[in-house]
Amino acid sequence: MSNKESQGSANSGLQARYQASNLFRPNTPLVDQALSRPAERVLLLVAPDVDALCACKILQSLFQCDHVQYTLVPVSGWQELEIVFLEHKEQFRYFVLINCGGNIDLLETLQPQDEAVFFICDTHRPVDVVNVYNDTQIKLLIKQDDDLEIPAYDDIFRDDEEDEDGEDSGNESDGSEPSGKRRRFDEGAVERRIERRRQRREWEARRREILFDYEQYEYHGTSSAMMMFELAWIMSKDSNDMLWWAIVGLTDQWVQDRITQMKYVTDVGTLQRHVSRHNHRNEDEENTLSIDCMRIAFEYDVRLSLYQHWSLYESICNSCYTTSALKLWSVQGQKRLQEFLADMGLPLKQVKQKFNSMDISLKENLREMIEESSNKFGMKDIRVQTFSAQFGFKNKFLASDVVFAVISLLENAEKDESGTDNFIKALDSLSRSNLDKLHTGLELAKKLLRAIQQTVASCICTNLILSQGPFLYCYLMEGTPDVKMFSKPVSLCLLCKYLLKSFVSSTKNKRCKMLPLVLAAPLDVEKGTVIMVGIPPEVESSDKKNFFGRAFEKAAESTSSRTLHNQFDMSVIELRTEDRSKFLDALISLLS
Amino acid sequence: MDASEVEFLAEKEMVTVIPNFSLDKVYLIGGDLGPFNPGLPVQVPLWMAINLKQRQKCRIVPPEWMDVEKLEQIRDTERREETFTPMPNPHYMELTKLLLNHASDNIPKADEIRTLVKDTWDTRIAKLRLSADSFVREQEAHAKLDNLTLMEINTISTFFTESLNHMYKLRTSLQTPEDGQTQEY
Repeated sequence: MSNKESQGSANSGLQARYQASNLFRPNTPLVDQALSRPAERVLLLVAPDVDALCACKILQSLFQCDHVQYTLVPVSGWQELEIVFLEHKEQFRYFVLINCGGNIDLLETLQPQDEAVFFICDTHRPVDVVNVYNDTQIKLLIKQDDDLEIPAYDDIFRDDEEDEDGEDSGNESDGSEPSGKRRRFDEGAVERRIERRRQRREWEARRREILFDYEQYEYHGTSSAMMMFELAWIMSKDSNDMLWWAIVGLTDQWVQDRITQMKYVTDVGTLQRHVSRHNHRNEDEENTLSIDCMRIAFEYDVRLSLYQHWSLYESICNSCYTTSALKLWSVQGQKRLQEFLADMGLPLKQVKQKFNSMDISLKENLREMIEESSNKFGMKDIRVQTFSAQFGFKNKFLASDVVFAVISLLENAEKDESGTDNFIKALDSLSRSNLDKLHTGLELAKKLLRAIQQTVASCICTNLILSQGPFLYCYLMEGTPDVKMFSKPVSLCLLCKYLLKSFVSSTKNKRCKMLPLVLAAPLDVEKGTVIMVGIPPEVESSDKKNFFGRAFEKAAESTSSRTLHNQFDMSVIELRTEDRSKFLDALISLLS
Repeated sequence: MDASEVEFLAEKEMVTVIPNFSLDKVYLIGGDLGPFNPGLPVQVPLWMAINLKQRQKCRIVPPEWMDVEKLEQIRDTERREETFTPMPNPHYMELTKLLLNHASDNIPKADEIRTLVKDTWDTRIAKLRLSADSFVREQEAHAKLDNLTLMEINTISTFFTESLNHMYKLRTSLQTPEDGQTQEY
């Protein structure tokens, strides 16, 4: 287990160095003690997604500020969460869960001691009602104005003696109040009992209905990184670095299409205010800031992934937005691309060259040129609000590019390294001092985007996407190039989204445009398992709510398929290859 | 002595910080510090200032000499004079480096200051090398250099003593010609 943990001691680098050089500074611990109250060690459980990593980074620096000791353990799914909890529950009293644990009854699952306290910062919605109404052991970090639509307490819990309140002890203590029950028997009044039972049945039916409505759709709330940043802000410990992590966290939600456009714009607005608060000094002539300090800027940029680290041509060919709009998988699409480039008036030689080496004169109003031509080619919303960070003379990163880099590091399938190694690398790449890791990530991201585009093109050209009635279905065969990359949930979801977008723009069938997509890819050939993901339909006004989580559960139940609902996202499951067809049949009949 | 030890000593220099927390006087072996009040400047050793800064508990006020105009003047006199001019602080180089690395956002015109201090440093090291060269060339027995800082002495000392040793060896071998003649070419 030792390799699973990165022990974070909140000592500053300075002190560590002194320990190394054997120079004893006797008074430092004393000052530490005097300046911060001694705190208990905290267990940090973090899900492997970019938003969680960013939130974790912010929390880590907050811990560092106050010398709080913590142990960080990445958890990739429910099983791992349970195992890690079992291993650590003796040593800790406080548990912080980032982007995991909110959407199931945590106390029921983990069976913790009474004194354990869980702090949950999770974007997964709906939040489990038991978690919401437990105010002793579960503390949720959720914004008040988030649209939660939690059912009223009285509708789902009953506090009368007959009904065990189900919140803490469940039904175990049924016999604990015999006296009360007996007295009621003695009072007779059988009718009243029947009446009460009827009421109870009605109430239970209503409860089921309410819970069904509440739990039917899976969606995401405000980014955890943003929540953590606001926490830091309230404590007035926020810094520009933390702000950047919050931005990356929000951008991750946008890249993965987890929140509505509306929500994205609102949150960008919130962050923009923080950005101008932190970066206002730049304009001052007298107090020019050192070039090494990070500057964050709000920008309108184009929806081209990684173009600043790639060539413009490659970026256009591998960004979801441009490929699906220009339909680059077809010959005509390629022709359209040439026309598009010609329309912008960019010479091919320049476009295919590294962006950094492109002619300065061309780069000057490149964005305007791209926007203008894009409008003519039906790409009306190529402009997008985003942020960029700049430090030093040559380091400039767009938030979305960092997101791709971190995703690729997190799910790097190239080397057979454990998930924890990848997690630590991805976490490191978010620090400004680890630029080499970020650059490795950017290179991996290029590979990922290329693989996605190639897979999308081959799926569409060979008509692998089939309409199953209530949804579209696509299965990536074992042996397809790069299929290994898509055995990881985030990459698979990205592929799924890109595939659906491209399919919608390529198909002429109006009904198909409105359908959700289920995508399956081989997970482990030896074990004979596939990984399956379902995403909501690609429509303008999509509320990004996903019903596949519950549907998968139901379909698995009714066919007794051997599935594993291990991911924190309910809409990603593992399934035995043999059970695939009966599972799909059940899913079709369930949804039609 | 190694450079990190010199830096360690430099961290005992006092700097002014503006804390954002309040704390009573702290009694330490090296002296009492504080009391700390939010917004009120207080003198603390550099090591503590940096620790507080890293934990976002204070803003560091740059030392008085860490100012573009003053440093320009110092650089110019250093270039003009043949000898070493007195430096504003015996640990000017270490202080600049530490402060600019850890608190560059609290120091106005940090980039210019970095350049100016480095220029001054380069001028002084060049002078030092030049005098070392003439010292060796003229086979002096002793020399006196004023206004050198610990870091500067430390930079040249290993090299200088080593080279003197080598020179000594070469000279003694020259004075015993019979040793040299044994070698056949």
